[in-house]
Amino acid sequence: MLEIKDLHARVGDRKVLDGINLHVPNGEVHAIMGPNGSGKSTLAYVLAGRPGYEVTGGSVLFRGQDLLTMAPEERAQAGLFLGFQYPVEIPGVNNVYLLKAALNAARKHRGLPEVDAFEFLQLVRGKMKLMQMDEAFLSRGVNEGFSGGEKKRNEILQMLVLEPSLALLDETDSGLDIDALKVVAQGVNTLRAPDRAIVLVTHYQRLLDHIRPDRVHVLARGRILRSGGPELALELEARGYDWLLAGETA
Amino acid sequence: MAAPAPVLPTTRDENWKHAPLRGIERLRWAPPTALTQEAELAATALLGDDSPQGAIGARIVLVDGLPCPELARGNAAGVAYRAADSLKQPGEPTASIDLAFAGLNRHHRQGELLIRVPDGETLELEVVCVALACGHPALRIDLGTRASLRLLERHLGVASSLANLSLSVGLGHGARLEHARLLQPADGARHFETLQAAVGADANYRVIQVTSGAAATRSTALVSLEGAGADLGWHTAALGTGTQTHDAYVRVTHDAPAVRTEQGFRGIAADRSRIAFNGHMQVTARAPGAHSAQTLRGLTAGAAAEIDLRPQLEIDIDDVRASHGATIGKLDADMLFYLLSRGLDQATADSLLKWAFIADVIARLSDPAWRSRFEDALAPLLPGAHAARSLT
Repeated sequence: MLEIKDLHARVGDRKVLDGINLHVPNGEVHAIMGPNGSGKSTLAYVLAGRPGYEVTGGSVLFRGQDLLTMAPEERAQAGLFLGFQYPVEIPGVNNVYLLKAALNAARKHRGLPEVDAFEFLQLVRGKMKLMQMDEAFLSRGVNEGFSGGEKKRNEILQMLVLEPSLALLDETDSGLDIDALKVVAQGVNTLRAPDRAIVLVTHYQRLLDHIRPDRVHVLARGRILRSGGPELALELEARGYDWLLAGETA
Repeated sequence: MAAPAPVLPTTRDENWKHAPLRGIERLRWAPPTALTQEAELAATALLGDDSPQGAIGARIVLVDGLPCPELARGNAAGVAYRAADSLKQPGEPTASIDLAFAGLNRHHRQGELLIRVPDGETLELEVVCVALACGHPALRIDLGTRASLRLLERHLGVASSLANLSLSVGLGHGARLEHARLLQPADGARHFETLQAAVGADANYRVIQVTSGAAATRSTALVSLEGAGADLGWHTAALGTGTQTHDAYVRVTHDAPAVRTEQGFRGIAADRSRIAFNGHMQVTARAPGAHSAQTLRGLTAGAAAEIDLRPQLEIDIDDVRASHGATIGKLDADMLFYLLSRGLDQATADSLLKWAFIADVIARLSDPAWRSRFEDALAPLLPGAHAARSLT
């Protein structure tokens, strides 16, 4: 699904990614953990094609395609979804319209006809029920006036409607209470499938109590310092990151 | 006898700095004396097929300022066209340069459309002004005590046309006027207009306007809140493309106790277009307890586009609440990336954000059918955004 080789990137004059290597096969859930400022969100933005994040070396293959040559919208249409850590508010653009436009853009890319309004609303209502969201959110501006938790639910709702091949979820658990975390985790788990992959960027083990990862990677100083199974997250929870960083320095 | 032709302003005059006045002395301001069959056909073609969903109760059509009964629809009680011969002309040149185009209208107008709503009565009306050559349409709106009017006023025109509209509005005690205005002459046309309004005690005047057509437009509005408790909402948007110029000057005089104004402007200048809005709020010593709120926002969407926003407050009394602000910026990069990250193409994402920028103005229309009319009218300018209506 995703093959990252020796990826280097910078933001302005600051080198942030310093040789990332990561392989995410189909059907797997990978968690990327790491201390603040380690480059986790930068990796997510680079993969999604955010302007201002300059790739200075390396390669990324997404479903066999060179991801780095694609425009942000092409990446999304090809099945890459970024769940934002801080979803932006867009007053004046209906949530429901964005959902429909995004879904139709993906369908068009796959050579499918546009979804009709009735069918679309049926689909969205089903997903909203799963995310325990009130239908009133549909007619509001995108994330406009939403609480932090509502924004995160809305991100997962979009993901469920779009059914991406690869979901990059950047700190989807931040700002969520326990109940909301369970709902969001349930939504993410719904997406698990043999032909999809999920990359979770998180600080905390607690999300991984609800979404069991196949692999856990520690990203620090712009590189993957260690990879392991779910037990690595438990070890990080118990010991923090210092022992890994100390080993790296030594 | 026609009123004498006034001296027209220049860009050296205060309040006319950004007005599209170049070459106006060479324009042919004389209107046609009669409506020809060819003109009727051309107007019919311009009007197109108005959708029944957006149809307003009754419709009056003026072509180059002359009434066109063949294109009228419904029965509009209290609406009458009076030929210039029957009008009492002031006969005096206007002292204020801001009223020069109104004076020019009086000089050339062939007549006046009088929209009168008697005390306590209500009316819903659409007035369409079509410009084919040169017209000086004149509208006089007179609302009696607690009368109510919902007016949709549209301006269409062919590329070479010239229009100089004069609007005179009077609201009696407790009257209500929702005044929806859509200015969409074809690119290449020129449109000048002068609106003078007097708002009586406890009356409520709502102006919702979108300007998106013509090579050049200049709107001059002088509104006086004369009765205690008069309430004005002035929400307008202008979209400039190509080399268009849209310039507006709005002066609101708060001249009675506890009067209130809320003014919002949204301007989007793309390509090499220029947009200017000069909002002048006056609060006189006769207006204790007045409240004036003004928010002007501009969006430049072209490397050579220009926006000039000028909020002005002039207050002669202490007991007043007034706020004003103006901001000019570009499309928000975070919002843009968010939409792109959801698979929307660049053009659609741009359109959606522009739509969102002006949606606040259109949302103020009380009737969904009217909102649809505005959305339909803007669809060609904001491709992709048209479908942004609620699906729920």
